[in-house]
Amino acid sequence: MRKFLAVVKREYVQRVRAKMFIVTTILLPVVMSLFGLVPAVILSIDAGSPMRVAVLDQTGKMYGPLRQAVASDDTDQDTPATPQNANNGRTPARPGLGNFIFEQVYPANQTPEQIRLNLDRRLREKQIDGYVILPPDFLDHGQAEFFNRNPGDVISRRMLQSALNRAVREQRLVEAKVDSRTRQDLFKPVELQAVKIGAAGRERDSGGSFALVFGIGFVMYLAILMYGQVVLGAVIEEKETRIAEILFSSVKPFPLMMGKLVGVSLVALTQLAIWGLAFSAFALYGVNLLASRGLSTNIPSIPFSHYLYFGLFFLLGYFVYATIYALVGSMVTTAQEGGQLAMPIILILVISFYLFFPVSRSPDSSFSFWVSMIPFSAPVAMLVRIVTQTPPFWQIALSLLIGFSSVLVIMWIASRVYRVGMLMYGKRASIPEAVRWARQA
Amino acid sequence: MVANGTTVKLDRVSKSFGEFIAVRELSLDVRAGRVFGLLGPNGAGKTTTIRMIVNITAPDSGSISLFGRQIDSTTQDRIGYLPEERGLYRRMRVADQLRFFAELKNVRGKEVEKKIDEWLERVKLSEWKNKRSIELSKGMQQKIQFITSVIHDPDLLILDEPFSGLDPINVELLKEIVLDLKRSGKTIIFSTHQMEVAEKVCDDICLLNRSRKIFEGSLREIKRSFGRNSVAVRCEGGDGVLDDPELVSKLVRHADEAQALLAPGADAQTLLKRLLTSGAVIGKFEMVEPSLNDIFITKVTESA
Repeated sequence: MRKFLAVVKREYVQRVRAKMFIVTTILLPVVMSLFGLVPAVILSIDAGSPMRVAVLDQTGKMYGPLRQAVASDDTDQDTPATPQNANNGRTPARPGLGNFIFEQVYPANQTPEQIRLNLDRRLREKQIDGYVILPPDFLDHGQAEFFNRNPGDVISRRMLQSALNRAVREQRLVEAKVDSRTRQDLFKPVELQAVKIGAAGRERDSGGSFALVFGIGFVMYLAILMYGQVVLGAVIEEKETRIAEILFSSVKPFPLMMGKLVGVSLVALTQLAIWGLAFSAFALYGVNLLASRGLSTNIPSIPFSHYLYFGLFFLLGYFVYATIYALVGSMVTTAQEGGQLAMPIILILVISFYLFFPVSRSPDSSFSFWVSMIPFSAPVAMLVRIVTQTPPFWQIALSLLIGFSSVLVIMWIASRVYRVGMLMYGKRASIPEAVRWARQA
Repeated sequence: MVANGTTVKLDRVSKSFGEFIAVRELSLDVRAGRVFGLLGPNGAGKTTTIRMIVNITAPDSGSISLFGRQIDSTTQDRIGYLPEERGLYRRMRVADQLRFFAELKNVRGKEVEKKIDEWLERVKLSEWKNKRSIELSKGMQQKIQFITSVIHDPDLLILDEPFSGLDPINVELLKEIVLDLKRSGKTIIFSTHQMEVAEKVCDDICLLNRSRKIFEGSLREIKRSFGRNSVAVRCEGGDGVLDDPELVSKLVRHADEAQALLAPGADAQTLLKRLLTSGAVIGKFEMVEPSLNDIFITKVTESA
């Protein structure tokens, strides 16, 4: 036991003290938030100059509604006064939306042909950026033409199209003599409230715990991607540095392997805890800030036992996959070989992550039961079941038992393969060889 | 510790890997407080034997006892082992590594700190204590590796090819340390295929060849039993005489002299007479002990 702890301590202290650890701890969140921010920043860049669009309104009544439609989309989304929102609910305030300067072109005494030539000239001279022709039968057929210099500007075209859409709809209703009250009522959005029927009766579920499970699954995925390779490297380290034989003259392979797994895992947990604390601090600060402005954020109320399960199944998921990395590490002689052999692990991980969806649809099915018992898929599947229709306690306990015992069994196999591989030293083990080695004394 | 007793005792120990038999029915006694040479060519079974003593692999049959009791994982703590395949953690500081290896032998605390300083001083690497091992030269690393095997003050020290790759000055330094350890009552098993090195360090030897023991006993005794049947000769002419198989069974020519192993039944006086009558000019004619190498070769040929 003391030797096991010595191994744990070495793995932990050496890694936490390393520059790499400090650098990734600080830099990774920065890089991640950059990934989040940069696209938004880039999209908002061209909002600088509004697009100048000339409108030839041959119907004679669409110019006003069009302007209104574009303008209304730019104003507050939450006011139900504009029926457009209900219909077009998927568009949040896009950057640059409503960023048009309209100019009405009057036919005066010119033929449509002359007006077009005139507009073409102005387009070339860059007095305008585009023009729209609404033909006289526009309200009936809904066909209009948009001319511009840059046909690649899909965003502007779609914004213009949706504005025209709304304007036409509005105008058609006006012409059908629907008064403005009725128009508003017609477009009133639907509210679908999810109510969970639990053992305790009806309880409102805002989907918060669901999001949390998804979040946990994601963090697990991230932790395995990041630390699986580290576990692999830690197991190979003694082979590459040729220390294995010295170690085995002092400590048995199983405590050695477990020590490595636990040591590296503690490093991973330390890093995750640092990020978690920093994130919660920011989140709390943000919630307070919103609250001080009179905005209430609803923090989902989650029973305490669920937090416990979140923790346990997160650990289970992490350990099951980290253990497989350790097993791969015991079979190979260099980190490169290990990297190749470890590829399928990611695949299994992704598949079991996607089981989230079928399980959440029918958490009580026998399919859901079985996948929540298989160690690879249990963490996500069981958590989904817990937050949807909490299964009987024995199922949760059984799933944990199966999971953690398989961690021990895999580690035991890994340590045997490792030891025999070291004694044979040289080439990497094929899978049948690994099986044979594990059986050998 | 058992004074003058047996530190390690192997009783008809066998070990095979699949079809390959690495060690066959090996029995031997390593006496306390002596340097025991486990000798033999590559692949003779030396490393496998050692690994069984250190409890890395278990024998298929036979028994091994250490300090008078059956080996298990606790006997490991009393052994210091420097394997032939050895290395250091690249990015770990020297002192941290030594502390770690001591902890793995269940030794910790102030005592270890003192030992670390003493040993670094002894191999003249004190100023490298807080350097990472990648910053050390290969020779320095080997000395640190040596310390990892003695840091916990073991009663039995097993060294597998400890001097390979070391420069002569460091070989001398480590040899001194080994002899000092012997003087302080430690038992040392010394495995090598370099007979010249073994000859200078070992008290007792065991010769292994192709997984079998072919000889075991004290180095003195074996040399005495072989007698002085070897002659160092430096002469001009007389080649025909030295090549006569009735007189000389084996002739090894060095740069300026030759070593002749006398054929059974022949004696040195006859050889000298024959050389003189053949008209050779003799610069040197000296009876010498057979080298361990010669003994080994003779023994191997006998056993074949």
